[in-house]
Amino acid sequence: MRSHPASYRDTSGFVFIHDGMVYRYVHPVYEKQYTQLIHSGLYDELVKKGKLVVHSETNDLQKFGFEEGKVLLPAQIPFISYPYEWSFDMWKDAALLTLQVALISLQKEMILKDATPFNIQFHKGKPVFIDTLSFETYSEGKPWIAYRQFCECFLGPLLLMHYNYPDAGRLFTVYPNGIPVDVLVSMLPKRSRWNMGAFLHIHLQAKFFQRTLGAGRQNQKPVKENNFSRKKMELLLKGLESFVQKLSVKNVKTTWDDYYTDTILGTDYLDAKTKLVRSFCNFIDFKTVIDLGANDGHFSLLFDESKQVIATDADSNCINALYRKIKQGGITNLLPLINNIVTPSPATGWNNAERESITQRLKADLVMALALVHHLAIAANVPLQLIAEWLRPMGSYLIIEFVPKTDEKVKLLLQHRQDIFDSYTLENFRSVFTERYQLMKEAPVGNTNRVLFLFKRK
Amino acid sequence: MHFFFLYIDPGSGSYILQMIIAAVLGVSFFFKNFWLGVKAFFTGQKPKKEDEKDPAE
Repeated sequence: MRSHPASYRDTSGFVFIHDGMVYRYVHPVYEKQYTQLIHSGLYDELVKKGKLVVHSETNDLQKFGFEEGKVLLPAQIPFISYPYEWSFDMWKDAALLTLQVALISLQKEMILKDATPFNIQFHKGKPVFIDTLSFETYSEGKPWIAYRQFCECFLGPLLLMHYNYPDAGRLFTVYPNGIPVDVLVSMLPKRSRWNMGAFLHIHLQAKFFQRTLGAGRQNQKPVKENNFSRKKMELLLKGLESFVQKLSVKNVKTTWDDYYTDTILGTDYLDAKTKLVRSFCNFIDFKTVIDLGANDGHFSLLFDESKQVIATDADSNCINALYRKIKQGGITNLLPLINNIVTPSPATGWNNAERESITQRLKADLVMALALVHHLAIAANVPLQLIAEWLRPMGSYLIIEFVPKTDEKVKLLLQHRQDIFDSYTLENFRSVFTERYQLMKEAPVGNTNRVLFLFKRK
Repeated sequence: MHFFFLYIDPGSGSYILQMIIAAVLGVSFFFKNFWLGVKAFFTGQKPKKEDEKDPAE
């Protein structure tokens, strides 16, 4: 059985895919820890609290070509998102979950051996820990082996979003193994030293490692690591927890913050468009939806629990507000993600196969691109043909809004630049899309010049 | 202390760093709890200690 390309680091086991289902193989070397996880009641407690992914053990090892070990079938998570697609609150909840899992584990004589956000997925509106093999037997006296990883993987991005810019989490694309502490120190403002948490966990740590890295290795004195008591471990984890809890995202006003509350596009337009989208949806059969350029999520939130919705937007403030909304409202069928369509999340990691690009992952029955095309065609110069070819593999149905040049918003886009977009017309739009799609519905949006289309992939 | 730090590998560095951080946090939690106790004494409410919070909350 071949392991998943992202599952090569840990010798305790690996993830593999069989018949479209994700399984986790547990190697005999991890048997002892796995038994402890189950028998100590830790697994049950974490699952009961919704913090760890639930799994069942499969009995038929031969079916998968194994002779020993265990095969787990975890609850399947429909969409795999990566940390660089999360907004501040999502990062924060993922960090807190990691610390809470570590603290609960400690009560059952176990500890987390790693602390990376890739161990967490958002499922049913909440973060859940997915790496069942991250648990190790706790041995009192030893420090937390994942401490530095936690600082560089969670605290780093959180602090950059707190001090520098709300979408700094996207830097994780470049540093998927954690933003090194010395890089963090070079980016964080000087005043962050006065924050005790930032000072202890980042600045002090960077100072430490500058010194230790500069030293030759031959004269090392071995340090006996056996005095880090349980009390100290709890203090460290709780200290990190209360530090993360207090962090907030930097308040920066972005372009899209108040898009739909703007004066140009009033409630009449929004009501008319909502009615149209609802009526179009009655003509088609679908279970999954992608809302591209979702903004405040107005249209993503139209769907009931029977539909799974992924809402993406390039604006981290919008996605953060939407995440807060689903969290407060207990909405479980919506996953908000930051994605800039013009520079989407790439395929990355070992051999470019470890993490799939967002284009590879984003697939649904229905794709919605509302008030989006003019940004791609005019602000980003993407020809209509390329837009249609990009959308086509994403889903079988497409609800798309055409915003003509006479529109106030397009005029704004063209205000300070030469109009080189002769082919950007309603007729051309229709002809480009009907080459690849079958036109099902077409209607003007309220009393504006905007037109809404429903297409079916040919 | 200075010289000591010069001759340790990053792993041991992390151990010493974590010892220092735990000590600092220990002192800060002690004072926080002490302050909560003082506040509770004057307001007449039962103090909720920092380390008694449910980590799941």
